Amino acid sequence: MKPAPTLSTAFLQPAGQALPAPLLELRKQRGAALVDMPLPTRKTENWKYSSKRLKLTEEMAISLPTTGKAGSALAVPGYKVVFTNGVMIPEASEYPDLDDISIQRFGELSEAQARDLAERLDSTLDMKTVQFAGLNTARFEDGLVIRLNPNAVLDQPLFIINEVTADASGSAFPRIYVDAGANSQITLVEEYISSGQEPVMVNTVTEFTLAEGANVTNIRLCMDGENVQHIGATGVRQQRNSRFESHCMGFGGPLRRHDLQVRLEEQGAECKLNGVVVTQGTQHYDNHTTIEHIAANCDSEETYRNIATDKSHAVFNGRIHIHQDAQKSNANMNNKNLLLTTGAEIDTKPELEIYADDVKCAHGATIGQLDEESLFYLVSRGIPRREANVLLTMAFINELVVQIPVEAVRETVHTRLNQFFDQAFQEV
Amino acid sequence: MLSIKNLHASVEGNEILKGIDLEVKAGEVHAIMGPNGSGKSTLAQVLAGNDTFEVTAGEVIFSGDDLLEKKTEDRARDGVFLAFQYPVEIPGVSNMQFMRTAVNALRHHRGEPEMNAAEFMKLAREVSKQVDLDPAFLKRGVNEGFSGGEKKRNEIMQALMLQPSLAILDETDSGLDIDALKVVSDGVNALRSEDRAILMVTHYQRLLDHIVPDFVHVLADGKIVKSGGRELALELEERGYSWLGIAEDEATEASSAN
Ligand SMILES: Nc1ncnc2c1ncn2[C@@H]1O[C@H](COP(=O)(O)OP(=O)(O)O)[C@@H](O)[C@H]1O
Ligand SMILES: [Mg+2]
Repeated sequence: MKPAPTLSTAFLQPAGQALPAPLLELRKQRGAALVDMPLPTRKTENWKYSSKRLKLTEEMAISLPTTGKAGSALAVPGYKVVFTNGVMIPEASEYPDLDDISIQRFGELSEAQARDLAERLDSTLDMKTVQFAGLNTARFEDGLVIRLNPNAVLDQPLFIINEVTADASGSAFPRIYVDAGANSQITLVEEYISSGQEPVMVNTVTEFTLAEGANVTNIRLCMDGENVQHIGATGVRQQRNSRFESHCMGFGGPLRRHDLQVRLEEQGAECKLNGVVVTQGTQHYDNHTTIEHIAANCDSEETYRNIATDKSHAVFNGRIHIHQDAQKSNANMNNKNLLLTTGAEIDTKPELEIYADDVKCAHGATIGQLDEESLFYLVSRGIPRREANVLLTMAFINELVVQIPVEAVRETVHTRLNQFFDQAFQEV
Repeated sequence: MLSIKNLHASVEGNEILKGIDLEVKAGEVHAIMGPNGSGKSTLAQVLAGNDTFEVTAGEVIFSGDDLLEKKTEDRARDGVFLAFQYPVEIPGVSNMQFMRTAVNALRHHRGEPEMNAAEFMKLAREVSKQVDLDPAFLKRGVNEGFSGGEKKRNEIMQALMLQPSLAILDETDSGLDIDALKVVSDGVNALRSEDRAILMVTHYQRLLDHIVPDFVHVLADGKIVKSGGRELALELEERGYSWLGIAEDEATEASSAN
């Protein structure tokens, strides 16, 4: 029997030393822990459908060079922090200097702040299930830490543009940590984009801790190119009466993997997780979400939609875990899937584990095709078949698109969806 | 305008239409009556281009062209409109978006400029009043949560918006109360014109009190078994179908299926 493949040690050599000592130390520890890390295979349950898409070459082990400048000048309606290849570009970033909200790159932290951060990093995630998050911690060269004091409100969305320049093979490790104080509020938009054509990996981790009454909205736009394997994790811990809302908009690629883990740790915490994925060609997208209902009286509402065409493959795995003390939990999970061709594949698996007896829990998953009768009705009114297909496909996800609370993001999503429709229905 | 010759159609290998012949001229209103299951909706759907039904023989000439050769959307652009017996509910697509797309597709086909949102709204509001639908319904999903009567009025509204040259109305009168029947038949009468033909599938004489047809045809078991003027409808009302040799139980048996 062949030994299980392990992560090449070349992947455990971090670049960039411009970090405070506690973070360098954390990086080293995580790297040491990943020696001989087995790579996921078909037999790795939570990578069952995606392991064959993971193609890490030795060339991809090196960190993509820090360019020092932003590849594309993006105008955003709000504040902006630009990272290129996992390193912040201050000249391209515009954000306010506020008393009650601090936005700092890792390198700017004092020794004491860095020590505190080092203790918090990785604490929102179940690191056993997201080994690649560990790789990010072993490799990050920079990162952004946002701290909101109690009652602080960021008045505009903060866009974090994470770009990779794939002019050569390599990897990038963007990292974000958000600490939302009591009753604070922020809308954070993460945009993942790329330029260049060489095969690269983007390995991201974003973490949120929400103190009592905090209100955080996170929009995640995954729009990397066809040469980018994107493996990302988002971890969330919520205290009493806090609210977390997420909108994950995913466009396929050779490998797209996102793990979203939310822990409702105190009473009255509430999360709403929306997700839309579209895949075409031979693209692949795999969303794994976990909601831990740890305390009583928490609500979770999860709605994910996948649309797959051509020979692409979309995966949804949604786990809800209701702990013994989480009485009066309200958990709703809904996943609907649309196959536009017979060659496309969608795998969906809702997983419910319930250890409390007084809970309201509902889940549903469906896989279907566009309704022929509806199509006929539309074209019988003279609507071109392509447009009828677009109307019905859009109807499948529109409910989620309209909920994205930032108009500019909705526009970006519409533009990308139109490109998708142009491809998907070109022969219609 | 419409000439149907020896039309045969099947679904899943079962022959439903068994040789239909029908001539409809511009300006005429034809009523097609007949028991449930006799093939009325099949005829309507075949004319609109529903490929669930396979045409196995015969021809249909519409405005000089071979209609059966054409795609559904092209038939619509050439002026064929079908008011469905069972209009489809399409959540997520608003009535407004749906109708505006349809109106503009037609205008585009005719080389006319598209209607902008404001122009369209103005027209849509007027027409919705004409069929007694609250304009607020324009924002809802297509037919979503509509009552039976609202769905039928919405079909007539679409006909009024699209101004087809051949309007095929499949039981647009069924399930309507007296007031709604009046609204719908006023709508249909508004459609009547010299250069437009109306093919009206109905079950009941009562619609024909409001919309006086030029011709009445009785369809039974996939064939037109009798044609006449409007007095034929009155006779059917009085005597039922049995005097035409149509088995009563065919009518009742099939009615459960549809
Ligand atoms: N999609 C279909 N699949 C199978 N059978 C059908 C279908 N549509 C109609 N039929 C059958 O064709 C016959 C005629 O139906 P239809 O045209 O709806 O009759 P009508 O409108 O006169 O009541 C019925 O026996 C019906 O069951
Ligand atoms: Mg019928």
